[in-house]
Amino acid sequence: MTAPATESFVHPALFYRGEEEYVDGTVPFVREGLEAGEPVAVAVPGPKLGVLRKALGAAAAEVRLIDMTQAGRNPGRIIPRVLRGFADAHPEKRVRIIGEPIWPDRTGVEYPACAQHEALINSAFEGRDVTILCPYDAEGLDEQTLTDAYATHPVVISGGRQQRSPSYAPELVVERYNEPLEIMEAAEGYVFGADELPTARYFVVERAERLGLSGLRLEDLALVAAELTTNSVVHGGGSGTVRVWGEGGQVVCEVRDRGYLKDPLAGRRPSPPAQLGGRGLLLVNFLTDLVRIHTGPDGTVVRCYVDV
Amino acid sequence: MGSAGEAEPPDVWSARSAGTLQVRPLADRTGWQAAGEISLSTRPAWERALGCLAQQDAEVCHLELSAVTFVDVAGASALAVAAQGLPEGRRIMLEQPPASLGRVLDMFWPDLRSVEVVSR
Repeated sequence: MTAPATESFVHPALFYRGEEEYVDGTVPFVREGLEAGEPVAVAVPGPKLGVLRKALGAAAAEVRLIDMTQAGRNPGRIIPRVLRGFADAHPEKRVRIIGEPIWPDRTGVEYPACAQHEALINSAFEGRDVTILCPYDAEGLDEQTLTDAYATHPVVISGGRQQRSPSYAPELVVERYNEPLEIMEAAEGYVFGADELPTARYFVVERAERLGLSGLRLEDLALVAAELTTNSVVHGGGSGTVRVWGEGGQVVCEVRDRGYLKDPLAGRRPSPPAQLGGRGLLLVNFLTDLVRIHTGPDGTVVRCYVDV
Repeated sequence: MGSAGEAEPPDVWSARSAGTLQVRPLADRTGWQAAGEISLSTRPAWERALGCLAQQDAEVCHLELSAVTFVDVAGASALAVAAQGLPEGRRIMLEQPPASLGRVLDMFWPDLRSVEVVSR
């Protein structure tokens, strides 16, 4: 599992079956890193964090432990906040991260964003001295997820054996999960241009409040609505349509416009402190529980989900 | 201090309409009092006020924001960038900003020492 000397960024998937394989595949990876003096972070679902903490014993204190179900609830913020958050804090050294962004409870609505996240890690970290090991629960996840993992990871470890992925093609995964998002006809649309930006925001807040959102979450959604609608005015053809509805215990806020979001890493790059602009989509990723995007030459739809 | 916004008569000052921002100098200390919303259409007035703050000699410049109801990320960014450009030892005191402004500053500029927040 040691990084080949010729590549700086190393991104293997680890298919595990049961707790023993999980521990065998991850603990030596962590120990190797610590022995090499590399900063190590483990971002996995809470119960797995407990397993690793126990298996690592005293060494766990030297590892940054992160509950991925919280920090990575929205897959769109895992690159900027979790992975680059840790890697950028240690610019002088190779860093080692275990990142488990996909677990069996991820829903069908979340999954496309998870797969795109895994694919985009490759371009986000190209040329960086970083190793990111991504465990996949081969017993609990479906076939398509495991097939996609071959496309999003240049190397796959399965049954303790490491092999180059024969089907590595992360761009195709980004494209495939750029799925159309049909108009929710039942939700009233509010059409806005530059003059209606404030009222578009009030429209979102008023409807979200009626759907049960309150306090900080409602304030967060106001910020999110402002960024999405302002993006439409500035970059998306000057106008757009916003809709809000409830879906499975979440408030959904969607903005459609005529823009084309060509940069798949938009909203996933941490912004340098002295930079004036470019934080809109980053903020949207930080403050929401899921972001789904469909973009193409005919227009862009950004759909945000916030837990009530 | 230069003019960052028009001097508004009191009745306009108290009437908040969608997407407007009024900025006027504070009477008793260096800085500005703002009322309304800081978003795309009002950003120029906000940036003018911040630009004027940077030219002051006072160690502490005050921004009284109790009547500001909304600040978008670009408005927070303009404030953070202005604060980073202040000479050593100078700082901006935000008085009663909307809670979301403090949260956005913490999120993107956790180490910003030249901004002090006096909460609502």
